[in-house]
Amino acid sequence: MARLLIVEDEAHIVRVLTLWLTRHGHQVLEAPDGASALKVLERESVDLIICDMNMPVLSGAELAREVREGMKLGLPILMVTARCDQGRIAEQLAPYKVKLYPKPFVPSRLVADIERELGAVVREGGA
Amino acid sequence: MRRWWAGFKKFWMAEEIPRWFGFSLVVIYLAGLGAVGILGMSRVREDAAMRLEKSIRYGFAALSKRIHLEEGTAPSDPGVVRSLTREICDFAAHFPVEFVRVVDHAGRVLASTNTDEVGTVVVSAPAAPAGAWITGFESAQQSERLASILDFRTPVFRHGATTDPSGPAGPEDAAGRPGHTAAGGSDDAGQYYLEVSLFARPTAASGLVEQADALMVVLVVMGALFVLYRCLRAQFRGVSRIADRLWANRERIEQDLSSLRLADTSDALTTAWNELVDQAQCWLEDAQRREANEELKGVLERSAGGALATALNALPDGLMYVSEEVRFEYMNSAAHRMLGWSAEDAKGMNLTNAQADGIGGGILEVVRGALSAGGMYESRMVVLGPEGPAQDSAGSYRVWVVPLRQGRRHGECLVVVRDVSQQVRAERAREEFVTQVTHELRTPLTNIRAYAETLSSGMFDDPTVITECYNVITKETRRLSRLIEDILSVSQLEVGSIELRSEDVDLKTLLSESVRDVRGLADEKNIDMQLVLPSKLEPIRTDRDKLAVVVNNLLGNAIKYTPAGGNVIVGCQTSADQAVITFKDNGIGVDPAEHAQIFEKFHRSNDPDVRNEVGTGVGLYTAREIVRRQGGDIEVISKKGEGSTFVVRLPHQGTRAGALSASSEASHHG
Repeated sequence: MARLLIVEDEAHIVRVLTLWLTRHGHQVLEAPDGASALKVLERESVDLIICDMNMPVLSGAELAREVREGMKLGLPILMVTARCDQGRIAEQLAPYKVKLYPKPFVPSRLVADIERELGAVVREGGA
Repeated sequence: MRRWWAGFKKFWMAEEIPRWFGFSLVVIYLAGLGAVGILGMSRVREDAAMRLEKSIRYGFAALSKRIHLEEGTAPSDPGVVRSLTREICDFAAHFPVEFVRVVDHAGRVLASTNTDEVGTVVVSAPAAPAGAWITGFESAQQSERLASILDFRTPVFRHGATTDPSGPAGPEDAAGRPGHTAAGGSDDAGQYYLEVSLFARPTAASGLVEQADALMVVLVVMGALFVLYRCLRAQFRGVSRIADRLWANRERIEQDLSSLRLADTSDALTTAWNELVDQAQCWLEDAQRREANEELKGVLERSAGGALATALNALPDGLMYVSEEVRFEYMNSAAHRMLGWSAEDAKGMNLTNAQADGIGGGILEVVRGALSAGGMYESRMVVLGPEGPAQDSAGSYRVWVVPLRQGRRHGECLVVVRDVSQQVRAERAREEFVTQVTHELRTPLTNIRAYAETLSSGMFDDPTVITECYNVITKETRRLSRLIEDILSVSQLEVGSIELRSEDVDLKTLLSESVRDVRGLADEKNIDMQLVLPSKLEPIRTDRDKLAVVVNNLLGNAIKYTPAGGNVIVGCQTSADQAVITFKDNGIGVDPAEHAQIFEKFHRSNDPDVRNEVGTGVGLYTAREIVRRQGGDIEVISKKGEGSTFVVRLPHQGTRAGALSASSEASHHG
C-alpha cells in the first residue's frame, strides 16, 4: 500500500482516481492546487504525486520545481495534462524528472503505470 | 583553296604569332643577311675582275702591239718564236691567265705559255662580237673547256702581207671579224692571232645574285612589317575590342552601359575599361535615381494641398521620405501621428538628432539601424514596444525601410510604418484559443472516458458510484457538446453561414430555463442567483436557440468570474421597440480599457483572475455577434473589482436590413 497525493482542480477526475486507487489498496490524499499540495507534503509522507499541469494558485510545473528544488524530494511525479503543446511542457519539466501523462487517460492503465513507478522506487530503495 | 584561305585567315587573325613562323622569320632574316654578305663579296670580286679585265685589255693591247714580225722574218723562225714566247710569258707573269698563245689562221700554235701545245693545232672559238668575251678555246691540256674560262682573241700580224701593228689595238678592233676555223678562208691565210685565256670571272652569276638580293630584301622587309603589325596588333588588341564593343552596342549605350563590358579581362587595358564602364554605369544610375527622386520629392511637395496629399494623409500607414542628407522631407498624417511631431516640427528634421517618444522613438531607431547597416538593406518587420500580452497596448509595428539608391552608403529612403498590433493580437489570441480549446475538449473527454471505464470494468458495484458515473458522463457530454456548439458558432459566424430563425419567444420561459440549467454551477460556488422579472413581458420575435446561447454564455461568464459567495442577478424588461436583458454580478469586473477587447474573437484577458478560469475566449464574441446580427447589441458596464453588468438590447422586429448592417459592422470589427 502506498500513500498517493492527487493534485487536481477538476473534482470529477479526483473522484474517479480516488475510486480506482483506493480499490487497488492505496491511500489517497487530495489537494485542489499546487499551494495546497505543498502544505500536504509538508505534514504528510507521500510515495507518489499525481498532478495536473493547469491549476490555479500554483501550476503543476511550479509545484514540481518546488518539490525538487525547495523540498528536495525525489518521489515520482506523474504530470497529467490536457494541453496540446506537450513537447514544450516536456522541455520545461525536463530538469524535474517528471513523467508526463496525457489526457484523456484510461484509469486502469494509469493505475498500472502508477504501480510500476512505485515498484521501481521500491526496487531502487532495495538496491 | 578555301581551306588554305581559312588557314591563312586564322593565322593572320591569331592573337599569338606561331612559334614556327617566328623561327622561319629568323631563318629568313639570317639568310637575307648571308645573301647580302655574299652579294657584297661577289661585287668585290666582280669589281676586281673588271679591273683585272681592264688591265688585261690594256696589257693585251700593249702585248699585241709589241708582237710583230720583222720584215723578211718567218714566223717559224726559232728566234721569232723565242721572242714571242718571251713576250707572252712576260705578259702571263703579270696577269692571271691560263695561257697566252699565238696561233695562225689554221689554229697551229706558234708560241704559247704552254710549251706542250706549240706546233699543235688547236680549235679556237669564233671571234667574239664587239666588246664581248668569247669562249670556246681549246688547249692541249684541257679537252673540255669550262664555261667559266673566258678568252680574248685578236689578230696580231700577217705573214707575207703588210701588217699594221696599230690596227688590232684591242679586243674592240677584233670585234666583228669573222671567227676562224682550221678550215679558214683564203683571206685569213698568213694571219696570226694572239689568244689569251683567263681564269673564271663571275660576271655570269651577277644578275641572279642581284635578283636574289632584291628578293631577300623584300622578304626581310615583309617579315619585319608583319612582325611590326602583329606587335602593334597585340598592343592595340584591347583598343580594337573596345572599339568593336562600342560599335556593336551603339544603340543600347544610353540605356545600359554594362553591355560595353568586356568578358575577357586578361589584360590591364580591358580590366581598366570594365572598371570605367562600371563606374560610368554607377554614375548613370545615380543620375537616373537622383532625377526620379527629385521628381518624387517635387510631386510630394507640389501635392501639399492637393488630392494626392489628401490620399496620402488618408493612408493608415505612416509614410516618410528621408533625403540623402538624412532629413525628413515628407511625412503623411499617419507618420506625424506615430512620431508625435507636428508638420512644422517634422519639416527638415535630421534623422540623426531626431527624437520621439514611445513608438516614434522605436521607429527612428529602426530607420537609423537600417541606414547604418549599409547601402543594401532589406525591408524588415519590427515589433515595437515590449513583447508579451500584457504589453499589447505598446503595439506592434511593421517598418519597411526602402532604399532609393543602392551601391553606396547614403540615407535616401522611403520609410513605411504599418500598425500591425491588431493582427499580432489576433494571431496570439488564435494560438491561445487552439491551446485552450484542446484543453477544454480533453477535460470533459477525460471524465467521460474515465467514468465509462469505471462503469464497464465491473469493479465497482456500489449503486451510488454507478449513479454518479452516469451523472458525470451525462453532464460532461453536455459540457462537451456546448463547447463544440460554441466552436461551431464561431465558425458559422466567420463564414457567414449562421441561420437565424424568426419566432415568438417567451423571454420568461427562456430565462427561467437557462437559470435552471446553470443553477447547479452556481450552487457549487455558493453563488446566489436571482431572476428578477416584471409581471408582464412581451414576447420577442427572434431565434430562440441562438438567444439561449447568448443567455447561457453571459450567465456562464457571470458565474465563472464571480467568486464563491457572490451573487448574480438576471433581469429583463421589454418596451415598445426592444427587449433589454441584464446580467449583473459582483465578480471580478472588467477594466474599462478592456471593454472593447473582451468581445474580440479568442480574446482572453491577461488579468490573473481571468486566467485562473478555463475558457476559450469565444463566449462573448459569439453572444455579441448573434445579437448584432439581429439588429441589437451588448453593452458592458464594469470596473475592475466592482462587478459587471452586461446589457443585451434586442429590437422587437429584427429586420433583414438591420441584420445585414449589423453583419457588415461585425465583419469590420473582425
